Amino acid sequence: MPSYRILSVIKRELREKLMSKSFIFMTILMPAIMLIIMGFQALMVLYQGDKGTKIEVVTESAILTEECRKVFSELEFIKEGSWTITYNTVPLKEIKGYVDSKKSELLKELTGIIFIPDKALIDKNVEYYANIPNKLSVFEKMNGPVNNVLIDQYFKEKTLSPEELNFVRRSVKFNNFKVSKEDKIEEQGIGNMIFSFVFAFLLYLSLIMTGTMTMSSVMEEKTSKVVEVLLSSVSSKELMAGKIIGSTITALVQMIIWLSPMIILIATSWITLPVKFKFDIGLGYLVYFLFNFSIGMLIFQGLFAMVGAIFNDPQEAQQGVFPVIFLIMIPFFITFSMLRNPDNQLAVVASYFPFATIIVMPCRYTLVDMSFIYPLISCLINIATLAIIIPVAGKVYRVGILRTGTKPGLKEVMRWVKAKG
Amino acid sequence: MPALEVRKLTKMFDLLKAVDTASFEVPEGSIFGLIGRNGAGKTTTIRMLMNIYMPTSGEILFRGRPVDHEFRARVGYLPEERGLYKKMKVLETILFFAELKGLKGKDATKKAKEYLERFELTGRINSKLETLSKGNQQKVQFISTIIHDPDFIVLDEPFSGLDPINTNLLKEIILEKKRDGKVIIFSTHLMDFAERLCDNIAMIDKGKIILNGDLNTIKADFSKNNVKLTYEGDIFFLDNHPIIDHISDFGNSVGISLNNPGQTQELLRLLIEHNVKIISFDSANISLNEIFIKLAGSPAKEDLNLA
Repeated sequence: MPSYRILSVIKRELREKLMSKSFIFMTILMPAIMLIIMGFQALMVLYQGDKGTKIEVVTESAILTEECRKVFSELEFIKEGSWTITYNTVPLKEIKGYVDSKKSELLKELTGIIFIPDKALIDKNVEYYANIPNKLSVFEKMNGPVNNVLIDQYFKEKTLSPEELNFVRRSVKFNNFKVSKEDKIEEQGIGNMIFSFVFAFLLYLSLIMTGTMTMSSVMEEKTSKVVEVLLSSVSSKELMAGKIIGSTITALVQMIIWLSPMIILIATSWITLPVKFKFDIGLGYLVYFLFNFSIGMLIFQGLFAMVGAIFNDPQEAQQGVFPVIFLIMIPFFITFSMLRNPDNQLAVVASYFPFATIIVMPCRYTLVDMSFIYPLISCLINIATLAIIIPVAGKVYRVGILRTGTKPGLKEVMRWVKAKG
Repeated sequence: MPALEVRKLTKMFDLLKAVDTASFEVPEGSIFGLIGRNGAGKTTTIRMLMNIYMPTSGEILFRGRPVDHEFRARVGYLPEERGLYKKMKVLETILFFAELKGLKGKDATKKAKEYLERFELTGRINSKLETLSKGNQQKVQFISTIIHDPDFIVLDEPFSGLDPINTNLLKEIILEKKRDGKVIIFSTHLMDFAERLCDNIAMIDKGKIILNGDLNTIKADFSKNNVKLTYEGDIFFLDNHPIIDHISDFGNSVGISLNNPGQTQELLRLLIEHNVKIISFDSANISLNEIFIKLAGSPAKEDLNLA
C-alpha cells in the first residue's frame, strides 16, 4: 500500500508531465515527426534523381537492336523524355574498341553503354560500361525491359502465343494462409507485420523518450538541490518509487492514446480494411501489450533514474546513459530481423532475454502463432528483472542523489550497491 | 526527557570521519544552536538527524524513540542549499510540500495564504518560482518548511544569504515558534546569531562536539576569567604579561582572558598605569566567539568580521 507521501510525489509527477503542453506535443507531434523523418529517409532511399540519363544500347545483331528499340520506346520514362536511349549494333570482338572510342562521351554526357551479346540469349549476362558503373537506378529500370526482350527473342522461334509469353514473363505470387490450432485456415494479410513494426517502434520511442525525461527530472532535482528538501519528508525509496510510477502512468496514458486508432479498429466495425492489410490481433493482445509495456517501463525508469542520480552534468549523463539506451536499441533492431523470418533464432532467444524480451516478445507474438504460455513466461522474466533492478537502482539513487563533486567510477557505484542499509 | 537526544553519532565517508562520536541533547521548547566553522560537520550531523544520511554508528532518539516517519511528519527542514522546482507556482509549491507532510485541502490553502500575506507575497501567489527574486524564493522555502506547524524546526544555516529585513523576519518567526513551545534547531557559523537566539548550544569542530549545554551556564563558566575592554591607546604591554592567558582583538574592542579570576583589579591597575583611556571595562563577560576561539583555535574569517 503506497504511503500518502508516494501518492503526493506521483500526483506532482502527473501534474508536471501529464498536464503539460510538452505532453500534448510529445503525444501528438512526436510520432508524426518521427514518421515524417522515417518517410523522408525512405524517400531519400527511393529517390533516383536520374532525369537526363543517356544510355546507349548495343547488341551484336541488328534484329536484337530493333527488338530493343521497339520494347524500350514503350517505356514510360522514355516516352516522358526523362531518359534518352540510342541504339547501335557492334560485333562482340569489337565491343572493347567501341567502348574505348566512346570514352570521351562516357566521361561527359553519356551515362553508360549496355551491351547485350548474343550469348545473353543463353546465359542472360549483359555488360554495362560507365564512368559510375554502380548506378542502381539503371539496373532497376533496365533489368525488366532487357529481360523481356531476351524472353521474346528466346521464345520467338518456339511459336508461343502472346498469352503463353505473358505467363512466362510473370513471376510467382505467394498467397499466405495462416494455419493455427484454434481457427480454421484463413488467408493472412500483412496487417500483423505492420502492427509488429508499429509496436516495436512505439515501445522504442516511449521507453527512450520517457526514460530520458525521468533522467533529466532526477538531475534537475539534484542540481537544483530540491532533493534535500524532499528527502526530509520522504525516503529516497518513496521518492524514486513515486517518480517512476508517475512517469509510467504518464507513459501508459500516452501509449493508450497512440493505440486508440488500433483499439477502434479491433473493437468496432467502423473501418473495413482491404484483405491485403488483414490482421488477427484481439483486445486480449492489447491488454498483454500494455501490461508488458508497464513492467518494462518501470524497469527502464529505474535505470534512467539511477543514471540521473549518478551524474551532476547533462553531458556526463548522456555518456553514462548509453548502456541503458543500448538495452532498448538492440532489441529494436532485432525486431527488424523478424520481418524476413519472424521465428529466427536470434528473435527467439531475445524474446526470453531480460530487457530484450520487453520489445521482442510482443512483436513475435503478433507474427508467430504461439500459446499464451510464452508471453506469460516473458512477463515473469520481466517481473523478475524488475525485482532485481529496482532495489539496485534504489541503492544507487539513494547515495547518488545527494552526492556532488567528480563523477563516480563504476567501482564506486558498485560499492554503493553493496553498501548495507 | 529531552526532545531530541544524540548519542555517539559517527559518520564516515570512505576514510574521512565527518562526524566523530557526537553526543548532545536538545531540551523541549528551546532554541538549540549547532555551531562551528564551515566544514566542521554541522550539515552532516543535521542530515543524520533528518534521516537523509544513515549514521555509520550511534543513535538519535526523538522523545525517547528512534527517529521514524512520525518524526519526519512533525519536522520542518530548511537545508543549507535551498532548492525549489523553478517551474512550479508559489502556492502550488507550498501546497506540495504541505501535502508531503500530510497537510492538505482547505486548511493547507488557508494557512499558505496567511503566510504569503505575512511575507508580502500575496501578489505573487500564481507566479512561477523562477520569476521570483532570490529573497522571495527563500521566503517561499521558509513558508514550505513551517506550513504544517511542525513540532521541530530544523534550519541549516538559515541566515546565510538573507538581507537584514528578511533576517529580522526570520528571527521574529523563530522566537514566535519558541513561544508556541516548538523546538528549533539551527546550525550556523555566525556566532553572534547563535549567541542572541540560542538557549542551548553544541559546538562542533573537526567532527567532534567540543562543548555543549545551556548557553548561559557555558558563558558564566567561561567569563570568570574574562574582561571585555573598549579603549583608546596602546595595550601592547599586555602581550606576554604573566597575568594574561590570551587576548582576542575584535577591532573596536578586545576580549582579555586572564589566568585567574582574581587578577581583574591587577589588569585595571596596569591599564591606568600605562595611560590607556578606558571607555568600557566589563568583567565577567565573554562572547561565544571568544569561547570558540579559546576551544577551537583561530576562528573562521566570517566569524571575526561579524563579531
